[in-house]
Amino acid sequence: MINKTLSPDGYLRLSLGSYSYLIEKNAIARNLFLSGLLILACIASLGIGTLTLTPWSVIQAVFGLGDSMNQFVVQELRLQRLLAGLYTGAAFSLAGCLMQTLARNRLATPGIIGIDNAAMAFAVSSVVSTTISMAPSAMALIGAATATALAFGLSGSSGTRGYRFIIAGIGVGAIAGAITQLMLSQVAIDVANAAYPWTVGSLSARSSLMVSVLGVGLLICLISCLLLTHVFGLLPFSDAVVIGFGSSMKRLRLIALILSVVLTGLAVSVAGPVGLVALIGPEIARFFARYRGIPLISSALAGGLIMVIADLLGRTVLSPIEIPVGIVTSIVGGPYLIWILVRQRSTHSL
Amino acid sequence: MVDQTGTVSLSADNLTLQHGKTTIIESLNLTLPLGKVTAIVGPNGCGKSTLLNGLSRIHHPIGGTVLLNGKDIHKYPSKEVARKLALLPQDTISPDGINVEELIRFGRHPHQSTMKQWKMSDQEAIDYALNAADLNGLKDRLLNTLSGGQRQRAWIAMSIAQETPLLLLDEPTSALDLGHQIEVFELIKELSEEGKTIAMVVHDLPSACRYADHIVAMKDGKIVTQGCPKKIMTKELVLALYGIECDLIPDPMTGSPILINIKRVKSL
Repeated sequence: MINKTLSPDGYLRLSLGSYSYLIEKNAIARNLFLSGLLILACIASLGIGTLTLTPWSVIQAVFGLGDSMNQFVVQELRLQRLLAGLYTGAAFSLAGCLMQTLARNRLATPGIIGIDNAAMAFAVSSVVSTTISMAPSAMALIGAATATALAFGLSGSSGTRGYRFIIAGIGVGAIAGAITQLMLSQVAIDVANAAYPWTVGSLSARSSLMVSVLGVGLLICLISCLLLTHVFGLLPFSDAVVIGFGSSMKRLRLIALILSVVLTGLAVSVAGPVGLVALIGPEIARFFARYRGIPLISSALAGGLIMVIADLLGRTVLSPIEIPVGIVTSIVGGPYLIWILVRQRSTHSL
Repeated sequence: MVDQTGTVSLSADNLTLQHGKTTIIESLNLTLPLGKVTAIVGPNGCGKSTLLNGLSRIHHPIGGTVLLNGKDIHKYPSKEVARKLALLPQDTISPDGINVEELIRFGRHPHQSTMKQWKMSDQEAIDYALNAADLNGLKDRLLNTLSGGQRQRAWIAMSIAQETPLLLLDEPTSALDLGHQIEVFELIKELSEEGKTIAMVVHDLPSACRYADHIVAMKDGKIVTQGCPKKIMTKELVLALYGIECDLIPDPMTGSPILINIKRVKSL
């Protein structure tokens, strides 16, 4: 029985001549849905604040129409912060999804492996020290790469698979966290204050240059993920199977690891270590995915959604006091993490 | 369909393989008979799986070469090898929540690329594999809801979809009960009758004799003997390989050797 349809079940086939590209139909549906939610959250975030705007006036203001005061509030005051939240959330979550797939473990997010902490420690060292002339953002990137290299080196022959990588990472993260505290305790209070936003995860101290850099980086990583979805599908298989298919597991892992580290480093350089977005984002994406494949784009969308909502809550719940976004995500994410740990026994691991 | 008849040869020339610093296999020579089923047998730790991994380019040799159609297998682009040779390793972890057809679809990977993800021939190969492994009724079932034998058939179907003239299997029946073992062995036999050259590592000696055309008996990283099971299988060989005494009688139905009256030799 030969089935003559030209696309496998559940896929949409785009083709041009002899070229063809498959898109999972479920992915289109869930990404449209998540995008819809994200747009609503963005409109709410741009509209709500000391001056509350109607959704319609927000949309007008974004496109440079309507009341000039509204345009100023939306474009000059709120849009930068919204983009910072959107980009960092997407970056953290995409990095988390890649790292989880790489390590075959749902707990293996950059935050838990200590990459966030190390990026933070490097950024803080640049703020508190007079001898380091490099910008905190650049230091954050270097920190992320250093932590990954350390965790990878310490995990020995097992590589990114298995618990050694995670445990080595937790150790690296703990040391980085302790060093951060030590640095903060040794400097004058106003210097420590300047460094503080780097340690909690906040969108109020973002640098607009770094937001743009993150935006570009995120776009490049998303495009890479779209092109690599086909080969990334092999990541859950054992090395022998992947080599048997004629692909290089080492190269595949290296690419995924680099993408994950760059995304985390860039995101930390904008917002500091934002707790648990990398854990919850992919989890939401998987909830919508029909089977547990690697929903990279959905993870990015879900991460952006979480950050935009968390920041909105942080700004408004105790207004005029502002709760840093990292604290909001941790308050919501902590119980969720425990729930995953408890539930994981009954369902299969990644 | 791609011509899958046994036209692609695979052989080991003076092959030496190491694990770390330990030499597992030293200067081994072997040529797989074309279009036949070869079973590699021997005690635990004799280097059967290492040899299979060496033959399938997973394991890099420290000396000697593996020749695919007469040319060093490591000189080919890996994807080209994957279109000639399929490997079913022992360790078959799969993505969670994947169904049978989705698993089989992965077998098409060597024939695809980022910009050429789906052709008519892909679906044809998958339908062929589903039929060959008798999985049409199960194609939408989740892999982890299948019985061990069905799951192993699904993995073999994935290798069938790879459309390679060579198929290497590492202990394809090790975790299966008797019924499921027969199910898998018969499938392997059918595939060889269609022209595939097959090599498999097998623990169970009577099954190896029953289903293989050619036996390669290994001990301590060397080939002790090889040939047609009826000719080479003797009580002396069983004693040399496993340190057990037994008698061999021909199966009344098939004539392949059966081990009876098995006793462990106390001291060696």
